Amino acid sequence: MTIAVVTDSTSDLPPEIAKQHGIEVVPLNVHIGDDTFLDGQTITADEMYKILPESKEIPTTSAPPVGTFVDVYTRLAKDHDAIISIHISAKLSLTYISAVNAVSEMADAKVDIRVVDTEQASMALGWIAVHVAEKIASGASIDEAVEIAQKAATRASFVGMVDTLDYLVRGGRIGKAKGLVGSLLRIKPILTVQEGEAHPVGRARNRKKGVVMLEQMVADASPLDKLSILYTTEPDAAQAIADEVASYAPDNKPVVAQLGPVVGNYLGPGVLGLGLLRAE
Amino acid sequence: MVKAASDALIANRPTINALNVFPVPDGDTGTNMSLTLRSIVESEDVNASTQSAGDLASKMARASLLGARGNSGLLLAQLFKGFAEVAKDSDSIPPSALGEALGRAYEFSQQSVPNPVEGTMITIYRECSEKASEREVGTATEALEALLDNAIDAVRRTPEMLDVLAEAEVVDSGGFGLAVMFDGMVRAINGIEPVAREIEVPMPSGRKFSGSVDSDFVSEAEETDWGYCTVFSIEAENLDLDQIRDHMAKIGRSPIVDGAPGLAKVHVHMEDPGQALSAGIKYGALSNIEISNMDTQAADWASDRRDDIQRTGPEKLDSPPIAVVAVAAGEGMSDLIENTGLGATYVIEGGDSMNPSVAELLEAVEKVPSDQVILLPNNKNIIAAAEHVDELTDKTVRVVPTRSVQTGVAALLAFNLDESLDANVDEMSDIAGEIGEGCVCKANRDVSIGGYDIKAGMTFATFDDEIIAVGRDSDFVLTKLIESKASDAEIITVYTGNGTGADVIERLSNELAEKFGDLEIEVVWGGQPHYDYLVAVE
Repeated sequence: MTIAVVTDSTSDLPPEIAKQHGIEVVPLNVHIGDDTFLDGQTITADEMYKILPESKEIPTTSAPPVGTFVDVYTRLAKDHDAIISIHISAKLSLTYISAVNAVSEMADAKVDIRVVDTEQASMALGWIAVHVAEKIASGASIDEAVEIAQKAATRASFVGMVDTLDYLVRGGRIGKAKGLVGSLLRIKPILTVQEGEAHPVGRARNRKKGVVMLEQMVADASPLDKLSILYTTEPDAAQAIADEVASYAPDNKPVVAQLGPVVGNYLGPGVLGLGLLRAE
Repeated sequence: MVKAASDALIANRPTINALNVFPVPDGDTGTNMSLTLRSIVESEDVNASTQSAGDLASKMARASLLGARGNSGLLLAQLFKGFAEVAKDSDSIPPSALGEALGRAYEFSQQSVPNPVEGTMITIYRECSEKASEREVGTATEALEALLDNAIDAVRRTPEMLDVLAEAEVVDSGGFGLAVMFDGMVRAINGIEPVAREIEVPMPSGRKFSGSVDSDFVSEAEETDWGYCTVFSIEAENLDLDQIRDHMAKIGRSPIVDGAPGLAKVHVHMEDPGQALSAGIKYGALSNIEISNMDTQAADWASDRRDDIQRTGPEKLDSPPIAVVAVAAGEGMSDLIENTGLGATYVIEGGDSMNPSVAELLEAVEKVPSDQVILLPNNKNIIAAAEHVDELTDKTVRVVPTRSVQTGVAALLAFNLDESLDANVDEMSDIAGEIGEGCVCKANRDVSIGGYDIKAGMTFATFDDEIIAVGRDSDFVLTKLIESKASDAEIITVYTGNGTGADVIERLSNELAEKFGDLEIEVVWGGQPHYDYLVAVE
């Protein structure tokens, strides 16, 4: 029995990691004015962050259409018996619903498709997919894979320190971080995804203190199975955090990764963050 | 044809969004309608090459229902359902079918909404189908052109039918969206390029749409309780859609119930979304649950529409697990504290020359909607009184001994509603202990302290109760104060006193940034009495 692993582009998985584990990444759409782009494919993160502060009409994003999932599942069904499709929180995106609808469209197909709402986003989601792919490679069944994904979802965290909450507010994804809006001080909010939506975890008086808080969060979360340091526009700052917390990462090598256009649309430029999976 | 309508919607999307006031002013009608049409345009089934008109129409109806977003999307899906019904089992659609399909769309919409309101998309369906039946059937082009004229005429009259539109000085956004679609279709059938163009909003008596809704209406919208928009699907055999619709109408507002006997899609607005779900689960298994807070949507919408984007404090939470009561003087300081307090912070007026009594502190503690309260005295002379409050109330009251209001603000930044009372008090006390407190004020009489002779009217600066500098000019004294602390500070916050304007804040920010380049110095309006400047050094 062969099982395929599918996730979506909000996982922010670096392409080489997705490829290494044979994970199929379905892109969401980014809409800027009248143009539609495929997340990470026809628009790169760097292009997005250049456009973002200047765009007059607020860029929006949308879930992959049902048809895209049907295409991907149909293609994978040719050489797989089962598919596990692991996705961003259904409270943040309609991606999960689109995938579920695709499965019901394919009711006649022989392939066994399971869709999982991780209630997570970005590399927290990415690491769950990688973890599941690893377990499948070492023999997990489709039933086990679903259980592994659900358990991993409770051990995964995505944390981001944002420069401003404006992008989250205008994108309608402020969630429980609403209480942070309107601060008259130049604070750096630190957010996570909890129960599927944005949730505040702290407020740093400045960036430097925020970086210290992020590093402390890595220490508090250890021991770790997976660790990535995330950024939107400043790879060097992310690398500096990675160097500082390297000892907590497996093989002392945290992955430094850039947040993709869809996730970045809601967090804005200047973000530093973490995507991690705690050990069982 | 649908592609033309879809492109036209996209071209007019910002205007349609700006018109959106009913049933909830969340400014997304244009977006929802265009996304719903896109679900047809992008549908695999619909794009399959050879199929009869009947099959195509029924696939379009299914795709639009599956992809329907929001109220307007669901109503738009009824138009395609109407076409599917009329085109059933036929190979082509004659021009005469147009009016019939609109009539069916009107009926289906009536069935989906228990209290149909005129002055919305429903009116457009009704009027256009009536007009079509009165006309002699011509070519498809003529039918579409007449449809566009009728729709524009109906849209213009929507404020006569729906008061809320008249108050906001707009026409119905969904109705205008339909007219926009028809315009795109007329241009497509006539081969006019480009198909999509921005069209003028048909306002009553030839007025022009100002581009935004009436400003009084904006403020009112913010104050209305909109509740939650709750959307979900129910799956069960033999669902009675009428019964579900009646049930939803009893417990909520703006209900739309649609679907087939095996699958119902429910959309309802109510204060408690849980009630809608509990009601739904009685009929079958629930899926695709989406709940959005329309109060925030309406509030976001209102703030988007303000010309000058004023910052507003976070809405107060109904029952936060922990509340903070803080003593402060000055409007700016009160705002700062409320804005930093996560919607769970209350300010009592008080400070240097007006220390609140134990009774006043107790009263404030009793009033807040939480059983656990953190008190921030924000003045060294109020700490002792604050310590007594706990023994006088059933609530659990803890004091973070903040000696000044600037320290209180810094401590509040560590406040976290997810943490326990103890963890919060520890964390906030740690921060409070690390803050250096400075102030700049005028002497109101001659004094001699710490080796300084200060004459009445002179300005002096203190830091942690020691005099640092004396002078004639408050900015000079402030600069001296910062200079003396610059070497071991990372962030300095300066709160400007009562009577300082934005110009002073900007000038001071620039001057200080130039002088102390390496330091992060933030200047904000505190509006406090007595002190020209309050300073927090971290």
